[in-house]
Amino acid sequence: MFDKPRAYIMGIPIIFWLLTIIITPVILMLIMSFRQKVGYDISNILTLSNYLEILKKPSYVKILLRSFRIALIASTLAIFASYPLAYYISRKIRKGRHLLFMLIIAPLWISYLVRIIAWRAILGNKGLINSTLMALGLIKEPLSFLLYNQFAVAITLTYISIPFVFIPLYTALEKIPVNLIDAARDLGANEFHTFINVILPLCIPGLLTGFMLAFIISLGDYIIPMQLGGTGGMMLGNIIWSQFGFAFNWPLGAALGFILFSIAAVILAITQKFGSREGMLYE
Amino acid sequence: MKKERRKFKFSPLGIYAILAYSFLYLPLVVVIVFSFSPTKSIVGFSGFTTRWYIKLFNDEALIAALIHSLQVSLTAVSIAVVVGTSGAFFLVRANFPGKQLFRSLSQLPLILPGIILGIALLILFMNLGFELSMFSILMGHVCFTTPVIMFQVASRLQRLPRSFEYAAKDLGATPVKTFWYVTLPMIRTAIIGGALLAFTMSFDEIIITYFLTGTWTTLPVFIYGMMRFGLSPQVFAISTVVLTFAVVLIVLMAKFTAVRGEL
Repeated sequence: MFDKPRAYIMGIPIIFWLLTIIITPVILMLIMSFRQKVGYDISNILTLSNYLEILKKPSYVKILLRSFRIALIASTLAIFASYPLAYYISRKIRKGRHLLFMLIIAPLWISYLVRIIAWRAILGNKGLINSTLMALGLIKEPLSFLLYNQFAVAITLTYISIPFVFIPLYTALEKIPVNLIDAARDLGANEFHTFINVILPLCIPGLLTGFMLAFIISLGDYIIPMQLGGTGGMMLGNIIWSQFGFAFNWPLGAALGFILFSIAAVILAITQKFGSREGMLYE
Repeated sequence: MKKERRKFKFSPLGIYAILAYSFLYLPLVVVIVFSFSPTKSIVGFSGFTTRWYIKLFNDEALIAALIHSLQVSLTAVSIAVVVGTSGAFFLVRANFPGKQLFRSLSQLPLILPGIILGIALLILFMNLGFELSMFSILMGHVCFTTPVIMFQVASRLQRLPRSFEYAAKDLGATPVKTFWYVTLPMIRTAIIGGALLAFTMSFDEIIITYFLTGTWTTLPVFIYGMMRFGLSPQVFAISTVVLTFAVVLIVLMAKFTAVRGEL
């Protein structure tokens, strides 16, 4: 019903939204990253000094590398956890498939914070694992290595990432035409060979999309490392947060934020080129 | 039929699936169980109490945070419904150069790490000289709820045949009438489903909100504050309440967005 001119008028609110609360803030963040903290003030002279400071500080580089490693571990684990599940539901289940699908992605909308609380309740000193082991008499002192380290952060990030990874994997598997698999079978391939030679190659775009989504989500998180990471599990998000909090160095925080933005943008560009579009969430 | 059932029981993949579902849901069960535990520490589930829930209702600051959250989410979603739905028409029905870029940019709030939007908006408000208040939080929420609704409605709109609208037009309906009586009923469930999804996301949001919060807090930020003093039974109780609320919303949402791939 909307002819062309009317459709353009319909675009006014969304363009306004895009300009005011997406594009302008990101540009202001970029400008802020070139300014500098001078005493309690922020100078208006634009320099590269924040970026140079980040590169020169070994502790920042270390945390950046650690963030990459944790995000890599979490997204890989999420892929390995989700793929067999997606394969099982899409290929082996006939009845109730939709319900099983919904049950996996439902945690996406169950409070993020509640899921973090849950993992603290499992891994903590008085948590589920420790209290169970102590009740069984297997240990006397609580195992303190469960919480406040990189392991706790990685497992929680994996938990959070699974639904994001599952959607593109499942979509990729569902799209594979049955007659392609029948053909492989007719030609004498067993289930394993069909999987390796037919199904898996067709899933690569979906795998890539899932992996990239999980990686970006994990790389930028700061609440999970704050709650479960301790000092040894600090990630990029934590140092960004502290620049806007007690360190009060907004320009440096903006520079770190812009580095994260650039990494995410590159990853998204790669995903758009090689990944599957259908599986992208909300797409 | 019989063969199939046996297959389900014994296949390694089936067993794996059961383990995977347990991995997804067991942590949530732990939260619920601990919320009814009478002891202050989280050890031992000896006995059963609803004491912590009663304590919640008497916590005025918590109730205030809950009301704040409802205010922010409802307002943000209302704005997002208008901006997102009209945006969907723009995306599907208008042709313009840079459409692909527009699509990608609009998706950013959904796929960028929330921390980036948090600091970018914080810097925006500082530049404008605004105090952090309900307004700053509200803008943060409008930022990511709008594309949720836009893409839901757009994917419905894409599948709609135009013939109904042309028919209405041929029969003399004005554009407004055509929209109200023909187009809107066909996209209504997508709007409602999108709004529910957006509401659920907004009600839970902390990553962006945490940067935009002054003294006026929402429920997740308040719960986060409670967690600083360790996980008290009240934290588990409020978590269980939030969890229940989320499940109700998800069930409602599933009713409206029964089409997979639109999620």
